[in-house]
Amino acid sequence: MRESALHLAGLTKSYAYGFLHRRRRVVLRSIDLNVPRGGIFGYLGPNGSGKTTTLKIVMGLLRADSGTALVLGCPLTDPAWRARTGYLPEHPYLYDYLTAAEYLDYVGRLFSLPAAVRRERALRLLKLVGLENAQHQALRRFSKGMVQRVGIAQALMNDPELVLLDEPMSGLDPLGRRLVRDLILDLKAAGKTVIFSTHILGDAEALCDEVAVLRGGELLKSGRLGDILKIDMAYMELLVSDIDGAALDGDVRARQPVGERWRLEVAAAALGTVIGSVERAGGRVLSVLPIRQSLEEYFLQAMGSEGQHWAAHD
Amino acid sequence: MGRARLNRVLAVAANTFRESVRERVLYNLVFFAVVLTVSSLVLKELSLRQDEKIVKDVGLAAMDFFGTLIAVFIGVGLVSKEIERRSLYPLLAKPLSRDEFFVGKFLGLAFTLLVNTAVMTAGLAVTLLATGRAFDPGLLKGIIPIYLGLMLTVAIALFFSTVTSTTLAAVGTLCLCIAGRYSDILLHMKADMGAAGGLVQFLYYVLPNFRNFDLKSQVVYGDPVAWSIVGQIGGYALVYTAVVMIAGALAFRARDFV
Repeated sequence: MRESALHLAGLTKSYAYGFLHRRRRVVLRSIDLNVPRGGIFGYLGPNGSGKTTTLKIVMGLLRADSGTALVLGCPLTDPAWRARTGYLPEHPYLYDYLTAAEYLDYVGRLFSLPAAVRRERALRLLKLVGLENAQHQALRRFSKGMVQRVGIAQALMNDPELVLLDEPMSGLDPLGRRLVRDLILDLKAAGKTVIFSTHILGDAEALCDEVAVLRGGELLKSGRLGDILKIDMAYMELLVSDIDGAALDGDVRARQPVGERWRLEVAAAALGTVIGSVERAGGRVLSVLPIRQSLEEYFLQAMGSEGQHWAAHD
Repeated sequence: MGRARLNRVLAVAANTFRESVRERVLYNLVFFAVVLTVSSLVLKELSLRQDEKIVKDVGLAAMDFFGTLIAVFIGVGLVSKEIERRSLYPLLAKPLSRDEFFVGKFLGLAFTLLVNTAVMTAGLAVTLLATGRAFDPGLLKGIIPIYLGLMLTVAIALFFSTVTSTTLAAVGTLCLCIAGRYSDILLHMKADMGAAGGLVQFLYYVLPNFRNFDLKSQVVYGDPVAWSIVGQIGGYALVYTAVVMIAGALAFRARDFV
C-alpha cells in the first residue's frame, strides 16, 4: 500500500445554531478517507456537501468535533507538514494594496525562504500562471480569474509535496481552466499529490486518478474512477462517419447524430453485423468502446433529486 | 523565540506596516494633525505671552487625538477585515501560528504609530522653530506616555477585532478609550451609588485608565516630571497591553473561520 498523503478517520463537524446555540447542524459525518501519494484526487459533491469544510479542518481554519487527520503522515497539531503543503482556499481574496510580486514575496517570507529564492520562485510561478506581465500591478486591479491564478501561485510558493485546491477552476475563463488543468497534470508528473474539490464533474473526469464523493456531509463513495463508474460490457458505443445513421438496419439500441458523424449503441452480440452494415453502406467506423457510465450519470443515480439539480447547474 | 518564528512575526509586522502606510485614512489623519499643530501659530497671536505654551499644548493634543483615531480605525480592521475578506486563510495554512499572526499585526501597527508620532513630533518642533523657540527635550516626557497609551489602544482594538465585526470593534474600542479617559468620574460616583459602589470601584480598577498617560499639562507648563514617573507609566502600559494581548490571542486561537 502506498503511503498516505492525507488520511482522515471519523472526521465530524457540526455548527451550533438557534436560540442560545442549543441546536447543532451536522455538516460532516464521520468521514474516513485515504488519499495515496503521487496522484490527482478529486473531492466531489454538490454545493454545501462539506468539501470546503473538510479542507478547512485539514488546514486548521476549523476545528473538528471529533476524528483525526494525518497530513503527509503528521498529525494536524504538528506544524512540520505545513512547510510541505500548499493550499488554495475557495474564492481567495488577496491584499488589495499589494502587487502580485509583493504578495508572493510575503508568502515566501512565511516559509523563511531567502530573498533570492523568493524572487526567482515568484517570477517563475507568475509566468506559470500567465501573469508575468502583471507582476507589478496592484491586486485590486486584478479580475477574479487573475486573483484565482495568484492564489494558485501562492499555494506553490514552497514547492509543496501536497497541494490542496478548493474549487481551483472557479472564476476562470476557458483558457484559465485549461491552464489550471495542465498545471495540475504537471504537478502530478513532478510526483506531487494534488487534492482538489470541485462540483464540476468534467474536470474531475478529465484529471482524477481517484475520487471521493460527498453528499450532505457523508462520504458516499471513494476509490478509482474506473471502479466507481460501471462499465456495461453488454453494449458498445460506435462512432461512425460517411453514412446516414438513421437509415441503418440491425440491432441498434440508440442512435444520435454528432455533427457529421453518428453515435450508435449496439448489443455486443450484434457488433459484427452492424460494423458490416456500415462498411457495406460506404461508411467508416471511427471507434468502438464499451459503454461506460459517465460521472454525471453516476451522480444522477446516486443523489436522486439532489443530483438532478446539480447536473442541471453544471 | 526561534529565528524562523521571529522572521514570520516580522514578515506579518512588515506587511501590516505596508498596509497601514497605504491606507488613505492614515495620510488624512497625519495631515490634519500637522495642520492643527501649524495652525497653533495663529492661535498664539490671540494669547498674551503664552505663544510657546499654546503651540506645545495644541501639538501634544493633536498627537494624542489623531494618534488615537489612527490606532482605533486602523487597529479594528487589522484582524476583522482579514477574517471578513478571508485574506488570512492562505496565510494560516502556512507555517504561521495564529499567535505569530496576532503579535505581528500588533507590532506592525505599533511601528506605524511610532513613525506617525515621530512625524508629528517633527511637525511640532518645526512649528516651535517658526516661533523662534527650540524644541524642549522635556516634551518627550509628555510624548512617550502618549505613545504608550496608543499601544494600549491598539491592543484593545486588536482584541475587539478578533471577537467581533469591524464596526462593533470600533464602537467597543472608542467606548473604552472614552471611559478610560474619564474613569476618575467613576471614583467620585462611588459615594453616591450605595450598594453598587463596589461595582463602580471594580470598574474603576478594571477599565484602562488613560488619564495615566496624560502628562501634557505638566510638560507644557514646565512642572517637574521625573523620568521615574514615565517609567511607571511604561510599566502600567506594558502589563495592561500584555494582558489585553493575551486575551486577544486566546480568543483568536479559539476562532473557527467558517
